[in-house]
Amino acid sequence: MKNDDPRIGVFVCHCGTNIAGIVNVDSVAAAARTMPFVVHAEEYKFMCSDPGQALVRDAILKHRLNRVIVAACSPRMHEPTFRKATALAGLNPYLFEMANIREHCSWVHTDKVAATEKAIDLVKSAVAKARYLEPLESRYVNVEPKVLIVGGGVAGIQAALDIANGGTKVVLVERQQSIGGRMAQLDKTFPTLDCSACILTPKMVQAAQHPNIELMTYSEIEEVKGYVGNFTVRIRRKATFIDPKVCTACGVCIDKCPWKATSSFEEGLSKRKAVYRLFPQAVPGIPVVDKDACKYFENGKCKACEKFCEPHAFRWDDQDKIVEEKVGAIIVATGYDLIDPKLPSQYGYGKLKNVITGIEFERINNATGPTAGKIVTKEGKEPESVAILHCIGSRDRNHCEYCSRVCCMYALKFAHLIKEKTKATVYNFYIDMRCFGKGYEEFYHRLLEEGVKFIRGKAAYVTDQALTDAEQGKLIISAEATTLGKTLRVPVDMVILANAMTPQKDAADVARKFGIGRSPDGFFLEKHPKLEPVSTATDGVYLAGTCQGPKDIPDTVAQGAAAASVAMSLIQRGTVEVEAATAGVIDDLCSGCKICQDVCPYSAIGYEVDKRIAEINASLCKGCGTCAATCPSSAIVAKHFNDQQILAQIHALYAQEG
Amino acid sequence: MAEQFEPKIAVLCCNWCTYAGADLAGTSRMKYAPNVRLIRTMCSGRIDPSFVMTALKDGADGVLIAGCHPADCHYINGNHKTMRRFPVLHTMLAQFGIERDRVRLEWISASEGDRFVEVANEMTETVRKLGPLDWKSRTAAGNVA
Amino acid sequence: MRDFPSPLIEVSEMIADSGGSSLDLCYQCGTCSGTCPWNLVRDFRVRNIISLAQLGLEGYEGEDLWLCATCNACVDRCPRGVEIVDVIRSVRTIITQAGTSPKTLGAVLGSVKANGNPWSGDSNARLAWAEALQARPFTERSEYAFFACCTQAYDARNVKVGRAALKLLKAAGVNFGMLDGAEKCCGDAVRKAGGQELFDELSDSNIEMLDAKGVKKMIVGSPHCLNTFAKEYPDKGGRYEVVHMASLLAELIKSRKLRPTRTFDGGKVVYHDPCYLGRQNQVYDAPRELLKAVPGLELLEFARNRQDSVCCGGGGGRLWMETPIEERLAVLKLKEAVKMGATTLATACPYCVSMFEDAKTALDLDSFRVADVTEIIADAVEEVRPS
Ligand SMILES: Cc1cc2nc3c(=O)[nH]c(=O)nc-3n(C[C@H](O)[C@H](O)[C@H](O)COP(=O)(O)OP(=O)(O)OC[C@H]3O[C@@H](n4cnc5c(N)ncnc54)[C@H](O)[C@@H]3O)c2cc1C
Ligand code: SF4
Ligand code: SF4
Ligand code: FES
Repeated sequence: MKNDDPRIGVFVCHCGTNIAGIVNVDSVAAAARTMPFVVHAEEYKFMCSDPGQALVRDAILKHRLNRVIVAACSPRMHEPTFRKATALAGLNPYLFEMANIREHCSWVHTDKVAATEKAIDLVKSAVAKARYLEPLESRYVNVEPKVLIVGGGVAGIQAALDIANGGTKVVLVERQQSIGGRMAQLDKTFPTLDCSACILTPKMVQAAQHPNIELMTYSEIEEVKGYVGNFTVRIRRKATFIDPKVCTACGVCIDKCPWKATSSFEEGLSKRKAVYRLFPQAVPGIPVVDKDACKYFENGKCKACEKFCEPHAFRWDDQDKIVEEKVGAIIVATGYDLIDPKLPSQYGYGKLKNVITGIEFERINNATGPTAGKIVTKEGKEPESVAILHCIGSRDRNHCEYCSRVCCMYALKFAHLIKEKTKATVYNFYIDMRCFGKGYEEFYHRLLEEGVKFIRGKAAYVTDQALTDAEQGKLIISAEATTLGKTLRVPVDMVILANAMTPQKDAADVARKFGIGRSPDGFFLEKHPKLEPVSTATDGVYLAGTCQGPKDIPDTVAQGAAAASVAMSLIQRGTVEVEAATAGVIDDLCSGCKICQDVCPYSAIGYEVDKRIAEINASLCKGCGTCAATCPSSAIVAKHFNDQQILAQIHALYAQEG
Repeated sequence: MAEQFEPKIAVLCCNWCTYAGADLAGTSRMKYAPNVRLIRTMCSGRIDPSFVMTALKDGADGVLIAGCHPADCHYINGNHKTMRRFPVLHTMLAQFGIERDRVRLEWISASEGDRFVEVANEMTETVRKLGPLDWKSRTAAGNVA
Repeated sequence: MRDFPSPLIEVSEMIADSGGSSLDLCYQCGTCSGTCPWNLVRDFRVRNIISLAQLGLEGYEGEDLWLCATCNACVDRCPRGVEIVDVIRSVRTIITQAGTSPKTLGAVLGSVKANGNPWSGDSNARLAWAEALQARPFTERSEYAFFACCTQAYDARNVKVGRAALKLLKAAGVNFGMLDGAEKCCGDAVRKAGGQELFDELSDSNIEMLDAKGVKKMIVGSPHCLNTFAKEYPDKGGRYEVVHMASLLAELIKSRKLRPTRTFDGGKVVYHDPCYLGRQNQVYDAPRELLKAVPGLELLEFARNRQDSVCCGGGGGRLWMETPIEERLAVLKLKEAVKMGATTLATACPYCVSMFEDAKTALDLDSFRVADVTEIIADAVEEVRPS
C-alpha cells in the first residue's frame, strides 16, 4: 500500500511530576522536532486528560498529521485511549504509536541526564516505527452470552445471582460437593453477629433454583481455550455414584453407611460417613460416595446404603465426565486457604491439644459442629480462661508478610461469643488492632465494655511447662505487654490461633489455566490495584473475593457484585473487537514450504492448493507473529509488528549516526 | 579515573509477560540501569534471529530476548519456538566470535518486576565487563562479512 | 522546668552504621522479649533496647544490654527480620569503644589480646592438652586441620572433650593434623561482647596463619568456632570448609568407620541443643543420631527443643560474667532434666558443658553427668577406651 509522505506528530506527557520530575520533557519535545518526518511536537501536563486528547485531535487536523506518537505511560495502560482520540480525528487508530517513558524510564531511573537520553531514544524508536505504520481494519466477533464462575463461595454465589437476575446464563463450577465455601463453616459473622448459615443458606438455595444458573458441583476446570467473548471450557464432573436425577436427597443411605472418614468441613474434629453430605444444609443436598472411604471400592462388598435407597439412585459404575461449555466471560472466585498452623511451630499446634485454630473454633461454637456448639476443651470442660493470639503467620516475614485483614475482627467476635457462652476470662494478644470497616471500631468498643482483656504484644510462644503452681495443667503464653514493658506468662485453658489466610494450594495452576498473574503474596493479581480491581491480565477473565487477597465478607460480596457488573457489561455489548494485527502472506514470496503451518499455535495457516502457497485464516490468527519469524522466505507479514517496522526501531536505537 | 563503559543493551520481548513485568518494575518504582531499551513484539515467538544480529551489527553491545515462562505463553507455545531458535543464534554468534554472554534468553513473567530489574542489571554488568562489541573490527578479523 | 528526653537521631544512625541497620524495621510487637529465655528467670525487655536505639534515647546502654547471650532465639522469631543480635552487638561495640564496658568483660578481652585466649592461658602452651596423644602436625597432605577451641585447650573440664575427640579421629583413621599452637581465639565471643577491633586482629592473624599452611578444611569442637569460621571469616577473606565434631562423628558412624558397641550405662540422656549448632547452623539431627547409635542409650527431649531450645546462658560473653544462681538458665534446664528422669545431659559445645557443670555444682547433683556427645561416643567405641 502506498502512503502519502509521513507527517508525524509527537506529544510528550509530563504526567504531573511522574515523568517531568526525572525526564526533561522540553528536551524530548525539542529532540523530536529534529527527527525525520516529524512535523509537530509538543509537551503537555496530562496527555490522557480530556484537554490532552483534544490536543491530539486538533493537531491532527491542523498539521495534517497522518502518524501520531504519544510519549507517556505504558501502552498497556493508555494505548486504547489514544487510539480512540486518533480515530476521532478521522485517522486510522493503527497509525498511532506509544513511547513508554514512564514505567520504562522515569519511574525506574534516578539519573536525570541518562533518563532524558533514554526517553529521547524511546521516542526515536517510536518515530522510526511510525513511519512504516499501516492502517488496519478492526474486526468484531459476537460474545457468547454466558458466564462461567469458578468457585462457589459467597463471592461466586453473589456474582452468579447478580448475573442470573439480569437475565444472563451462568455456569457455576464448584469443586466441593456443595457451594457455600468458607462462609458455610462460620458460626456468627462480625460485626453484626448474624448467624452465617441464616444469611448464606437462602442465597445458596436461590442459586441452585435459579433458572439461569447451572450448578456444577463436585467439578473442576480441565482446560480453558479461546479469548474474550469466546472461551471454550472443559469441565470435569467427578463421579458421585448417585444419580442426581433419581435421588430424592432423603439421606437414608448416610444413616445406614457403616464406614467413616475424617470430616474436612469440621476441620478434622469429627467424622462423617463414606457416603455423605458436606454439611446438613449442603446445596445441592444430594450425597456423594467417597471412593477412598467406601468399603465397596476396596473389597467389592457392602453396598449397605443401596439396600435402603428406595428410588434406586446408586450407580456403581459412575465415571468422571468431561463436559464442554462455551462462555463469553469468566469470573474466578476460588477463595482462600489457611496457613498450616504447625508452621509457626512455637505455638505448639499439633502438640498441645488445646491449641486450636480460628476456623476450628467456628466449628466448635456451631450448633451443628463437633461439640454441638458447646465451648469446651478437649477434656470436655468449660475453659476458665481463653487466649486469642493475633497475627499467627500474618505480618510476619518468616511466613506471610501481609495482613490477613479479618483476624482482628473475628478475634473480637470470638471473645464476645466466649463471653456469651462461658464465664471464661478472655485475653487478646495483638500487635495493632485493625478495625477499619463500617461498624468495626464500634464493635471493638463494645468488647472493651464486655471486659475482654487486651494485651498489646504478640504472643511469643505457648508451652505447657509450668514454672509455678498456678501454671500447673495450663497452657502458658509468654508475651511482653509492650505498653508496660513487662514480660508476662499468662496461664489459660484454651488457645485460639488466628492463623494467616493464604492463597489456595493450587493457585499457581489455576492462574496458569486462566492466564491470570499473581502478586508477590501469591494471590491473583488484578489489572490495576485501584482502577481495575476485578479485571486481570487476560481480557474477559475477572476476579472476585479472597482469591485476589484476604478480605471479609462485605468486601468479598462487593467484589462479587463488581465482577458481575463488568462481566455483564461485556455480555451486553454483544461483540468484541478482535485482533486486527494478524499475519498475512505475500503471495509472490511464498514458496509453499509449509514450515509456518507447524509453528502456528492456533492452526490458523492453511494451504491454497491451486496457488501452492500458504493462506492465513484471519479469524483464527491471534497475531503472535511466530510464523513471520519462522518463514524462510520472509513471505509472512506480522501486521503492526512487521520486519520493516521492528528493524527501523533497531536502527533508530543503535545505528551509529553518520 | 577513566569513565566507565556504558553498554547499550537491546531488549526484545513479548507484550504479555516481560513487557508487563517491566511495567510492574516501573509501577513498583524499582530502579535499574538505564542502559536497556525495550522493543515490544506481541510474542517472543515473533523475535527473528535476524533482529538480534541487526541490533548487534548496528551498535548494540548486548541483546536480551525475553518472554513468558515456558508454559505461560499468551499464544500457547510461541516461546517454545523462541527456545528452539536460541541455540541456532548462539552458533551464529560463535561464527562471528561474539561472546555467548552478550545474548541472553530469559523468561520473566508479568508479576516478576524484581526479576526484570535483576536481569537488566546483571546484563548491563556482564556486558560492561565484556567491553564494547565493536562489530566492524570483529567481522573484519572474522570470516563472514 | 523538667528535662524532656528527646530523640538523638545521630546516636541511632551510629548504631545502624556499626552493624545494626535492620533496627528501623522493628514494629514493637514484643515477640523478642517474649521469646528471650532470660524472661524465664528475670525480666529482660529486648524490645525496649530496640525502641530506645531507634530513637537514640538514653537507656539503651544500660545494664541489661550485657545480658544477651546471643542465642538468636528472638532473631529467629522476629516477624520483621530485625537482626536483633547485630543491633545489640553494635551498641556493645560503641560502648566498648567508649571504654565503658563491664569490668569482667574488660579483663577477658585483655587476656584475649595478650594471650590469644580468654582463659589467661600461656599462649606457648596452647597444645599442652594434646601432647600425650601424639597427634600428627598438619601438613599439605592432611585433609583437615583440627582447630582446638580455647575452652577445649585450657579449661580443665573441656580439655577432656578435646582429648576424646582426638582419640576418635585417630581411631576412625581421619586424615587430620594439629595446628602448631600459633592459632588464636576464633573471636566469636569477643565480637559479640563488643570487641570488634580485637576480633579483626584475631581473625586477620588466624587467616594469615591458616592460609600460610594451606588449610582448606577444619574440624572444630565448638559451635562458636563453627559459626565464626563459616559465617564471619569469609567477609574477611578467610574461606574454609568447617565441620563440627558432632556432624563428622555422625558421618563416621554412618560409614561404619566408627562402631559404638559398648552398652551405655549412664541412664537416660537428655540432649541440649547448643544455640550456635542448632538455631545458628541448623545442625539438629546429627548429635541425636550419634546418641541413638549407642547401644542401650535412651534419649529424652526437653519440652522446648531444636529451634525452640532454651539457651544455657553462656554465649555472647556471658560465660565470663556472674549470674546469680536463681537466674541461671543452665540451672533451670538442669532441674527440668532431673524432673524428667534424666541422669545425663549431653550437649555439643564447650560453653554449654561449662555452664551445665557449674549448674550441677550449684545444685549439688553429684551423681548427675554432664557430657559432650564426643565423650559419650568415645566411651562407646571399643578401640578408644580406656580414656
Ligand atoms: C476463622 C475465620 C472467621 C471469619 N469470620 C468472618 C466474619 O465473621 N465476618 C466476615 O465478614 N468474614 C469472616 N471471615 C472471612 C470470610 O471467611 C471470607 O471473607 C469469605 O469466606 C470469602 O469468600 P470467598 O468466596 O472469597 O472464598 P471461599 O469461601 O474460600 O470460597 C471459595 C470457593 O471456591 C471453591 N474452589 C476453590 N478452588 C476451586 C477450583 N479450582 N475449582 C472450583 N472451585 C474451587 C472452594 O471449594 C470454595 O467453595 C472469617 C475467616 C476466618 C478464617
Ligand atoms: S520481635 Fe522484632 S519487630 Fe518485634 S519488637 Fe522485637 S525486634 Fe521489634
Ligand atoms: S539472649 Fe537470645 S533471645 Fe535474649 S536477647 Fe539475646 S539473642 Fe535474643
Ligand atoms: S506471549 Fe510472552 S512469550 Fe509468547
